[in-house]
Formats: sequence, C-alpha cells, structure tokens
Amino acid sequence: MLIRTEDLTKTYDLGEVEVRALRGVTFGIEEGEYVAIMGPSGSGKSTLMHILGCLDTPSTGRYFLNGTEVSDLHGRALARVRNKEIGFVFQNFNLLPRVDLVANVALPLVYLGGMNRSDRRKQAEGALDSVGLGHRLKHRPNELSGGERQRASIARALVNEPSILLADEPTGNLDQKTGREIMAILDELSGAGKTVIIVTHDSNVASHARRTVEIEDGAIAREGRA
Amino acid sequence: MNLLESVGAGARDMASHKGRAVITIVGIVLGTASVVAVLSLMRGGEKQTEDFFDEMGGLRELRITNQHSHDIFQTAAERASERLTYRDAQAIRRECPSVLTVDPEITEFLAVAYGEKTFQMKVLGTNRDYPHADNMPVAEGRFITDKDCENYANVVMMGPTYKEDLFGEEEAIGKTITIEGIPFEVVGIMQKKEFYFEGSGGSDRNVLEWFNRSHYIPITTMVRRFTVNDRLDGLEISATTIEAVPALTEEANRVLLRRHGVEDFNVESKSDQIRQRNEQEAFFNIIFWAVAFVSLFVGGVVIANIMLASITERIREIGVRKAIGASSRDVFIQFLVEALVVTASGGALGILLGLGMVALTDKVLNMPTAVTPGILLIAFGCSVAVGVIFGLFPAIRAARLDPVEALRYQ
Ligand SMILES: Nc1ncnc2c1ncn2[C@@H]1O[C@H](COP(=O)(O)OP(=O)(O)OP(=O)(O)O)[C@@H](O)[C@H]1O
Ligand SMILES: [Mg+2]
Repeated sequence: MLIRTEDLTKTYDLGEVEVRALRGVTFGIEEGEYVAIMGPSGSGKSTLMHILGCLDTPSTGRYFLNGTEVSDLHGRALARVRNKEIGFVFQNFNLLPRVDLVANVALPLVYLGGMNRSDRRKQAEGALDSVGLGHRLKHRPNELSGGERQRASIARALVNEPSILLADEPTGNLDQKTGREIMAILDELSGAGKTVIIVTHDSNVASHARRTVEIEDGAIAREGRA
Repeated sequence: MNLLESVGAGARDMASHKGRAVITIVGIVLGTASVVAVLSLMRGGEKQTEDFFDEMGGLRELRITNQHSHDIFQTAAERASERLTYRDAQAIRRECPSVLTVDPEITEFLAVAYGEKTFQMKVLGTNRDYPHADNMPVAEGRFITDKDCENYANVVMMGPTYKEDLFGEEEAIGKTITIEGIPFEVVGIMQKKEFYFEGSGGSDRNVLEWFNRSHYIPITTMVRRFTVNDRLDGLEISATTIEAVPALTEEANRVLLRRHGVEDFNVESKSDQIRQRNEQEAFFNIIFWAVAFVSLFVGGVVIANIMLASITERIREIGVRKAIGASSRDVFIQFLVEALVVTASGGALGILLGLGMVALTDKVLNMPTAVTPGILLIAFGCSVAVGVIFGLFPAIRAARLDPVEALRYQ
C-alpha cells in the first residue's frame, strides 16, 4: 500500500475556539490508484491533501507513505519527501512569475540536487514537451493561457518522477473545455500507472477517477468505486 | 541547491527587480565608498607622516633625550649625573653591537663673520654621522670626518641658506670664515632640505628649513672652543636595521643607565613618534568613520526593510518552493545570498565611487591619499558584512514561513 493513514486529526487552535479540520481519517491508497476526494467547502479536503503531501503534519494519528512513517518527520526530512515522492498541482497554478517555464519546471530538480543546470533544463524541457508545451519553453507564465499554465504546473509536478500526483481543484480556475484537456492529461498519467489523487467539488471531474472518497466535517462519509 | 546556483539565482532575481535593487544598493554604495575614502585619507596621512620622518632620518633612528625629574628634590644620584654627554655618545658607539651611527649634537648661537658681514648664527657641533643619521646629503665638498674630531680641526660645513647669506653666489669651499673670531676653513656645503605638507594648513612652508640654517663643526672643536662642558643638546643614534631597533633601544638604555646611575634619559624610536602622531590624527578620522558607519547602517536598514517587504510580496513563491521540496534551510540560504548579491554588487560599485572620491580629494582638496589593496578588501568586506547582518533577519523570517499558510496567502 502506497498511502496508509490511521486516525488522522488536525486541530487548529485559534485561542477562543478550536477548529477541528480533520476528525479521524483512516484510509489507504494503493499504488496506481486514481482517487477523487470530494466534499463540501470547509469539510477538510485541502487539510487532508496537505498532510498527504507532507506540507503539513497531523495533530494526532499516523501516516505511512511507501511504508515509512512520515507523521514523525519534520523540517528537512519532510522537505526531502515532498521533493522526491510528491508532485503538487494547485488550483491557481503557483508558477513563479519572473522566470520562464523551463526554469519553473526545473525548480524541483534544483532542490533534488546532484544535477547540473543543463541536465536540469533538458529534463524540464522533456516534461514540458510531454504536456504539449514544447513550443512554449522560454515563455513566462503571464504570457500563457490558464490551461497552458496548468499544464506547465503538471510538468513541474512530474519532473522529479514522484510516486504520487496530488491535485487540489486542478480545474477550478479553468473553463470547461480547458478543464477537460487537463483531466485528459491526468487520465493519461493514471493510465500510465501514476498514482493520482485529485480534490474537487465537481462531480464531472470526480467521474474521471476510479474511486471517490467523500469527506464531510473532517471525516470520511462515503466511499465509492467506478 | 549549491551556493553558486544560489548566487546565480540571486543575481537573476535582482536583475528582474531593477528598481528595487537600485534603491537597495544606494546606501551600500555610499557606505562602501565612504569606507574607501576614509581609509585612503587615513593611509595617506600616515604615509605622509612616515615620509616626513623618513626624510628626517628614517625609521632606524632612536632619539635620546634628557629626562628631567618631576620631583622637586633631586636624589643624590640625579645630582651626581652629568646628563647626556659626548662621552656617553662615544660609549654607545663602543659598546652597542646594534648601533650603526651615533650623532651627538651641541648647538650654540655664535658670531660668524666673512669679509664685512657678521651674523649671529646657529652652529652645530657634531661628527661624521650627522648627514647620514639625519638624511642630509652633502652638496659640495665634504662633511666633518673622524679625523677632524680627533684633531679638533677648525673646519666648517655650511647649510645652503647660511652659505648664501655669507657668500651669495661666490665660491665658498676653501675660504676662511671666523666663528667668535677664530678662523675656520669651509670644507663643504649641505644639500638643501625641504618638505611641504600637502593640504589645507600645509601651504608652501618648507618645514625643514631649519636644517638649511646651520653651520656644522666638529663636536670636539665645539667643546674645546665654545662650551664649558660636553653636555649634549641632542643625541640621535641609528640601528643597523629596522629590526634591530628594539635591541639597540635595550643596549643604549643599559649603557646609559650604567654610566648615569639613574634613569634621567629617554630613548625613543621614530616609530614611537609616528605612532603618537597617528593617534592624534585618528581623532579626526572619527568623523569619517561616523559617515561610513551611518551610510552602511542606513544602507543595511534599507536592505532589511526592502527584503522584508519583498518577502510579503513573495510569500507565495516561498510556499511554492517549499511545496516542491525546498527546506527551510534552502529558503534561508536563498534569501541571505540575495542580500549578499545586492550588497556585494553595491560594494563593488561603492569601491569604484570611492576611488573616484579619493582621486577628487587628491586633486581638488590637495589632501594626501593612499589606496592599498587592503583598503579595497576591507571596504568590500564591510559591504558583505552588512549583507550578512541585515539579510539575516529577513532570511530567517522567510525560512520560518509555514508552507500551507504561505500557499493560502492571497
Ligand atoms: N490555518 C488554519 N487556521 C484555522 N482554521 C483553518 C486553517 N486552515 C483551515 N482551517 C479550517 O479548517 C477547515 C477545513 O479547511 P480546508 O481548507 O481543509 O477545507 P476544504 O475542504 O479544502 O474547503 P474548500 O473546498 O473551500 O477548499 C475549515 O473550517 C477551515 O476554516
Ligand atoms: Mg480546499
């Protein structure tokens, strides 16, 4: 099992009140699965996503990734896991505005270390090519359409060949047609064996996945398989 | 991410924020330039002092003076001491292995006459070491020799101004003048000695003119003819090498203490005198230092503020970097290196500006300046230090940002 969680909770202490964003999430995801996490706004989807992506640590509970417990890791070790195991795709792309696409996509390789600049650029160009942006290498993000930006951010997520692709509302900022193009890329990646987890409100988007996990009020309410 | 790449990234980031970089850099440029200017002026002053002392006889010189007791009542030993005498000078020459020259001096103002002319003139009794010790080349003829001293010879060597006073353009060597009625043969003429301090107060006064207004006779003749004893007005000795100066100080002290029985003398090296003089000058440099410090400090504060502002502007970037694998340490290094790239380039520009300022001070204000590689290195070091000090806090702030918060930031 690639991902296994045991009773994950996340509590935000806001002084007066405590926000219990996650109230005990236990589930697992096999390698190569294509999972959609659904649920109403504020239900804790992003919180779960951040923990799965090692950007955040749970308040209690355990999280095993690839057999190692990562809920214990902090700082550099966690950064290392994010770098090697996780590829993030964000709703608002989050590309660095002042550098071109190649530099954006090569960034995870910079933190991976051990590669020289030209090798990194070559690998980044390959990743961009694989999402159909081979003709946009030297462009800056603001010179591109939303769909192109999201494809670039998928290329960035893939460049380190992570074991998991995590996408939080990847089509949230796109029109329907562009959204379908993005989903086609994710479908293709899943078809090639990549583990893909998407967070979405949109049941059309969720229908691409072969498994849906519905979160309500910080806990798993329902699960379904296509 | 290795350091070289961080520097490259920092430089690219700076290039893409030209406006920001310019504002940030101004303070550092001015600060570094001030450091260059300050140090060059200081060094210039020091060097001029050194040159002055060098012209006066070099750094191998020790000056021995009578040290008068501060007590009202003298001790028996003090009363018994004859103070510095010509015999002391001879003893030092005999007994100090590190001594090269011994230049005893007795000065009297005496009536000197040639033809119709009579003047009250300074006459210095000394020996063969005088021109050597006081760096006074002979222009014509010869100086006093050991033989002159042994024979109590009535020979005189003239300073160039006195020669003109007495002889004008006329040939002097071989002629006879009288000192207090006693005939003396003119055997040589000194070269003119001059030194002008550059800058405001210096004007065009030859501060060494007093060397040119003197006659020189063998000290033995002086003692026999014109004085009641052989007490010296001055005694200058020099060491065989600059390194031997401490040893000679030690030796001279020992010989004199044995002969006087009491420490009623003072042995002082030229380098001591230079140090004292430089300490006096250091006070004026405080003002320059203040300017440099304030500019660098202001430059640093500006950098810290601009960087903090840029962190707010770049919170998302930091979140993204962390999300794709940057550790806090990576972010810390990135921001610190960016600060360093800014301040180091500011430092480099500042050095250029500083060199310009130095050249201008030299030309326009006519102040002595000296630029050494060390000065440039120190100035550059200051700019880098400002980068480290003032880049530290913003870098820590950036590194500490929580990635989830940072990504959520709008
Ligand atoms: N840093 C925080 N401090 C306090 N409360 C937080 C924090 N982050 C999230 N929360 C709260 O935790 C709950 C879950 O938030 P989360 O962002 O995971 O929801 P979501 O399911 O992703 O919602 P959406 O669909 O709107 O993105 C919400 O009530 C939110 O207000
Ligand atoms: Mg969310």
